[in-house]
Amino acid sequence: MTVAANVNQCLSTLKGIEAQLSSLALNTSVPEASKAFHETMLVIGEIKADLKKRKMQIEIEEPQYKN
Amino acid sequence: MNDYTHILVSSVLFVVTLFAITKIGGKKQLAELSFFEYVSGITIGSIAGEVIMGLDGNLFHGVLAIAIFGTFTYLHDVIGIKSKKVRDIMEGKATVIIKDGKVLEENLKKEKYTIDDLNSLLRQKNVFRTADVEFAVLEPKGDLSVLLKKELQPLTAKDLNLAVSPEKESYTVVMDGNVLNDQLTAAGKNRGWLDVELANLGVTLDNVFIAEVDSYGKLTIDVYDDQLQVPSPQPRKLLLAMLNKCQADLELFSLETESPDAKKMYNKNATKLQSAIQKIKPFLSE
Repeated sequence: MTVAANVNQCLSTLKGIEAQLSSLALNTSVPEASKAFHETMLVIGEIKADLKKRKMQIEIEEPQYKN
Repeated sequence: MNDYTHILVSSVLFVVTLFAITKIGGKKQLAELSFFEYVSGITIGSIAGEVIMGLDGNLFHGVLAIAIFGTFTYLHDVIGIKSKKVRDIMEGKATVIIKDGKVLEENLKKEKYTIDDLNSLLRQKNVFRTADVEFAVLEPKGDLSVLLKKELQPLTAKDLNLAVSPEKESYTVVMDGNVLNDQLTAAGKNRGWLDVELANLGVTLDNVFIAEVDSYGKLTIDVYDDQLQVPSPQPRKLLLAMLNKCQADLELFSLETESPDAKKMYNKNATKLQSAIQKIKPFLSE
């Protein structure tokens, strides 16, 4: 797999994690847990933004791998 | 009135009376926590038995006696709540039998317990050596409460300084294939949610014997058909594995890339994710 594909895959895994954390935060009745899930979700969001930026860079540098 | 009708009438009458008395007496009466409740429990029972079988005539004498005993127990409970002195006299105080790991022979003698009795009581608490006990109290009801020495007490998460995920009570939302709507509401869920979860597990409602929701919103079920293998998803464990995978990916990217800027970005995010995983790990164990 190319670098671009790897980054893409990681990005979608992160998206999945974010969605699951969000659903856990809503579903649990333990406030501490809900808070922890929510905070982790925000961290994942930041990482996702960085990774997205990197993905764009890769696509500009090596357009042949764009998908 | 012949004997049979007498027995029938009196039995029904006393079932009703005893039911009323135990309802008034409450749970404490049934648990027989104190001397007084123990004695009145036995007496009420034997009065009822005596009057039902003794064919001497007046049923209401028996009912009166039971009512008197019931009233006394009730009064004793009410006064006991108000006054510590009354409690100590009526129910007796607990007696310390073992203190600082030493048996107090005087107290043992005062309660007329032999060393064999003490050993037997200790064994019922799974203690086979008197030397293991730090502190033991003989309760008014006659059973022994035992505090083991600290190093012999069961290990807890606190002893290990271990972070564990907090857990609240579970709710039973389905019983015998019937949805318990008030339990479902108490768990903060609704019928739509339940239908979706059951569909995810691949079972129909009328096949479910018990279904429980834990405080993380996970549904666990038991089905009538014991041959059926119900999947037991562990979404939180899976999530942790996914988080770890992403973290490893980020580290890998940082090793692979040749651009210094990207390397720095990947490293930063890998560390960030690592610390986030550390923080959330206790909540993801199930």
